[in-house]
Amino acid sequence: MIEALLQTLLNGAASGGVYALVALGYTLVFSVLGVINFAQGALFSIGGYLTFLLMGGKIGVNGALPGWGLPAGLPFALALLLAAAGSGLAGLLVERVAFAPLRRRRAEPLLALITSLGAGVVLVNLLQILMGAEGYAFPQGADALGGLPDALVIAGARIRTIQLLLLLVSAAAVLALTLWLERSKGGQALRAVAEDATTAQLLGIHSEAMVRLAFFVSGALAGLGGGLIGVSVSLPGPYFGIGYGLKGLAVLVLGGLGSVPGAIAGGLLMGLAEALVPSEASGWRDALAFAILFAVLLLRPSGLLGRRVVDKV
Amino acid sequence: MIDNGLLVQMLLGALLGLSVYLPLATGQLSLATPAFYAVGGTLAALLSTRWSALGATADGGFPLASLLLELVLGGLLAGGLALLVGRPVLRLRGIYLAIATIALVEIVRVAILNLPFTGGAIGIFSIPQPFTDASGYLVTALALLALAGWLCQRLEAMPLGRAMAAIRDDELAAGCMGIDTTRVKLIAFVLSAVVAGSSGALAAHFLNTWNARQGSFDVSVTLLAFVILGGSRTWLGPVLGGLVLTALPELLRPVGDVRLVLFGLVILLGPVLVPQGLITPALLERLGGWSWRGTLRTPSAPQSNPSEEPS
Repeated sequence: MIEALLQTLLNGAASGGVYALVALGYTLVFSVLGVINFAQGALFSIGGYLTFLLMGGKIGVNGALPGWGLPAGLPFALALLLAAAGSGLAGLLVERVAFAPLRRRRAEPLLALITSLGAGVVLVNLLQILMGAEGYAFPQGADALGGLPDALVIAGARIRTIQLLLLLVSAAAVLALTLWLERSKGGQALRAVAEDATTAQLLGIHSEAMVRLAFFVSGALAGLGGGLIGVSVSLPGPYFGIGYGLKGLAVLVLGGLGSVPGAIAGGLLMGLAEALVPSEASGWRDALAFAILFAVLLLRPSGLLGRRVVDKV
Repeated sequence: MIDNGLLVQMLLGALLGLSVYLPLATGQLSLATPAFYAVGGTLAALLSTRWSALGATADGGFPLASLLLELVLGGLLAGGLALLVGRPVLRLRGIYLAIATIALVEIVRVAILNLPFTGGAIGIFSIPQPFTDASGYLVTALALLALAGWLCQRLEAMPLGRAMAAIRDDELAAGCMGIDTTRVKLIAFVLSAVVAGSSGALAAHFLNTWNARQGSFDVSVTLLAFVILGGSRTWLGPVLGGLVLTALPELLRPVGDVRLVLFGLVILLGPVLVPQGLITPALLERLGGWSWRGTLRTPSAPQSNPSEEPS
């Protein structure tokens, strides 16, 4: 009984960690530009597929280059890091094509919602052309995890190593991001731009560079999540990231738009809530995030830890 | 290349484009249309396959009067749902409203997928056919579109339509002028749902099968593209956008998988390259001689240049 509960909680915390990664990606961009990057789900997919390819996976028969793959696979940790960097670069590309042109024209910020959706659709479908629509499974067992055992026994409960890894890696990423934002020069500059871009610019901060940095880190976080989920579950198809992107959106609103601690707390809360849905009702699990989102929007639109924003007139 | 079946799909696309346009005409970006479309379609699929009083015959036929009844009921159910969720949801603005309506779409999708009587992932199939070929659907869809278009056209001349335009341009100022902004936005939202619900009911019969995938987030994205390409300043814009963008993927089918990429490119580049969409009031003005030109102006109005867009 206790073991089952422990397992459930760990599963919840592990997926919650990934939700927090996605939500933090949204948060970074939102705090700098005040807009939401709807291509985040596509970047999540890209991270998953890049991790697969870098670990030596081969493209399936429906892909553009059937049977193509790297001659030798990289170890999991390195592949994951490189994939995150790759998703970060894709995030930069999204900024360049979907956000920068609108910013230059001082267009209605809500339009960025639409252009970034378009960028996401393009990226996911390019991925589908390259890799095909079929699912991919990562190699399982000790080899895949760099020599770690497949499962650990903690307090009598058998726990998949990858679940633990999922939690640890996302916790480490969240911690690193928070420290970076709070302590480093770059992080402070980013927060300054988020607070007031014009003033930051006057103080000698290159705010355009900070915007690009936010998009890179945001894409890397999504890519990290995609790689972790891919190894833990599988890659069911190029669209798999979209679902996580939408869940991340729910987490974002739950925690409060633009709040870093809110995104983390919201992610964990959402993961745990989903894990506690009894298995008989598992079909409804996907609606839970959005039901919570709906309730939060109606009861407390500023989110759990968000600042109340008063519209200036 | 364009057969009657594709024409029906195009007309349905135009109707759904109008459904996204109506809340947008009050400045509210709502992505909820697929939820209402799904509700209308599911209702029609359930009624026609389960309720024998509607007169579905053993060989899959269906009386026209029952279809029309379903169009009305689908619209009413969707409109009722919109009335229910609209009041709290429309307090939200901008990104929050967009996210809330995405949530609504997902909740409805998961509900249709999991309810015990909607057929799960397979959905409801063998929906009876009121027509023997697509031309009957063509006439019905055309009539529905004409009705919805006439409504939008009438709105422009009515106080309600002017209130909608005032809210779109400046909600605060409109409120100060004594316009009940919540009520006007709610009416636009409900009208949008009614159009989507009726379209769903027709689509369920036309497609013969109905499942949860009909109303997903992907559909929200597609419909948004209709309005972006066509333009959201006049009701003709979304109609054109819906017609063209529904036909485009079919006509591009020989190109293969690239068509979805091109489709994404429209959404990505449209707001930058054609910020107002293809059909703008200024364009209609230039075409001249159209009956709707006069309805925009009253004789007492000062000489204003309609091509000047408030930014």
